[in-house]
Amino acid sequence: MTTTASSTAVAPARPRKPRPSPTLVGGLLAALAFTLWAGHQISFTLAPLFTNFANGWQIIERFLQPNWGYIFRVWDAWVETVAIAVVASAVGVVVGLVFAFMASRVTNRSPWLYRAVKIVLSVIRSLPDVAYVLIFVALVSIGSLAGILALIMFNIGIAAKLTSETIDAVDAGPLEAADAGGAGTLARARWAVLPQILPNYLSYCLYIFELNIRASVVIGLAGGGGIGQVINVQFSRFNYENVSAIVIAMFIVVLAIDQLSQYLRRRFV
Amino acid sequence: MTAPAARTARPQEPSKARATLVWIGLAVLLGGAVWLADARWDKLPGLLTQGWKYFQLMSEGVLQNPFTEPWSGYWTRAFDAMMESVYMAWVGTLVGAVLSIPFGFLAARNVAPQWAVQVTRVVLNLIRAVPELVFAIVIMLPIFGFGPIAGTIALGVGAVGTLGKLTAEALEGIDPGPVEAAQASGAPRSAILRWAYWTQVLPEVLAFWLYRFEINIRASAVLGIIGAGGVGTLLSQLFSKRAWDQIGITLLVIIAVTLVVDWISGSIRHRIISGGAVRKDAGEREQDKAEVAL
Repeated sequence: MTTTASSTAVAPARPRKPRPSPTLVGGLLAALAFTLWAGHQISFTLAPLFTNFANGWQIIERFLQPNWGYIFRVWDAWVETVAIAVVASAVGVVVGLVFAFMASRVTNRSPWLYRAVKIVLSVIRSLPDVAYVLIFVALVSIGSLAGILALIMFNIGIAAKLTSETIDAVDAGPLEAADAGGAGTLARARWAVLPQILPNYLSYCLYIFELNIRASVVIGLAGGGGIGQVINVQFSRFNYENVSAIVIAMFIVVLAIDQLSQYLRRRFV
Repeated sequence: MTAPAARTARPQEPSKARATLVWIGLAVLLGGAVWLADARWDKLPGLLTQGWKYFQLMSEGVLQNPFTEPWSGYWTRAFDAMMESVYMAWVGTLVGAVLSIPFGFLAARNVAPQWAVQVTRVVLNLIRAVPELVFAIVIMLPIFGFGPIAGTIALGVGAVGTLGKLTAEALEGIDPGPVEAAQASGAPRSAILRWAYWTQVLPEVLAFWLYRFEINIRASAVLGIIGAGGVGTLLSQLFSKRAWDQIGITLLVIIAVTLVVDWISGSIRHRIISGGAVRKDAGEREQDKAEVAL
């Protein structure tokens, strides 16, 4: 401590700060340029927040006075929403499981089938749910069947992706045992892979069911039945009090189903 | 091992009664749902023939020479609308990302005081429970009017819920070493947050942002059907006209642009999380788990 002067003389100069990597600088510049371009293209501005707030507030105020009685008058639509979600999740996760087995190198030993299934799944996932609803509404007309079919497509994509990634990570021990015992592809998938992925898979099923309840607004707005259809009608008639009552009830239903599925997850997974 | 004679009989299989009950329960639930869904199941058999017919109509549009009128116009319009969705998703995600940083810090138990954590978590959960579409209808359309800005802000606010939660979880999982080192050398609170906390979570948080961007591209199409701009608006117009050739073109553009953007964003995420070499390591598996939460 007393030889501070000498020790500072001995200590080398502070090392130079490393120069930022060209990749980082280039990436940040590209991101900035894309942001400015995107903002310009959609004429992004926050000005209405200040200039138009008073006008907007008049409508928002009506949303803040929900018509509570309306929640129970649309009971049938609620039942329909949950029923749509149950059917679509059930079909979607079962088909998704089959696709998942085909979309993992662990369970699918045919390289071309593996690639084909991967591509099909990416294409299925790349369309938004609303596009599926519009397609199926055109095919089977407005109603809950269109909603169910659209959600099935949506669920297959998610279930297959999540489950196939879980399959990729299974423990190889049981697989080797099954191979050594001469198991065929199906027996191997059923007895060496399925028991290992089952807890995760059940948890994905519950997650998909939650997503389906949340998606019901979108589904209904595009003509797929359920509570969203009621929102659509009330919104186009400017009955904002009714819309907000449904939104609040929706909120409670979503939270309740979240709680239920968390409980089930703790119980079974 | 030594004396096979000592081996007892094969143990009795455990009872399957519970599993059977669960299966019966599920079957009843599904049956009830099929009945209550009020769907016109009789339309189901016609799906394949109808689907094939419309698929042919869509292919006709796609297979025309895209460099002649009017097809070139259809392709351009579909591409412009899809890019508008991408722009909305990008700006919206950025808005949400910026807003989620303070929320993330306030919701992390090792950063903020207990009461702030509780309050922030409740707020984040509430935001997460509301679909973007509801934000758009209730708050953004009245203020911003119809058009892409309402959709963009709705996407941004909707993203705060999940991004804030994931940022908080990342902050709670950091290595305490750098924090202690900074404290020991007398760094002010702001410097500790910036250099000990933020630096550690930055790669993970950036990857979450990009993943949310991918999700928001799909979500922005949804917002289009209520008139909030983007490819959804075009799609619902085309479907109400039943212009199948243009629908085919638009769907193909959606698929192509989404796949390309997903691929770019996905490779950037892999690069951020696992460094130069693209491989499935621990960090990436964490990321996969987070994707489930999003």
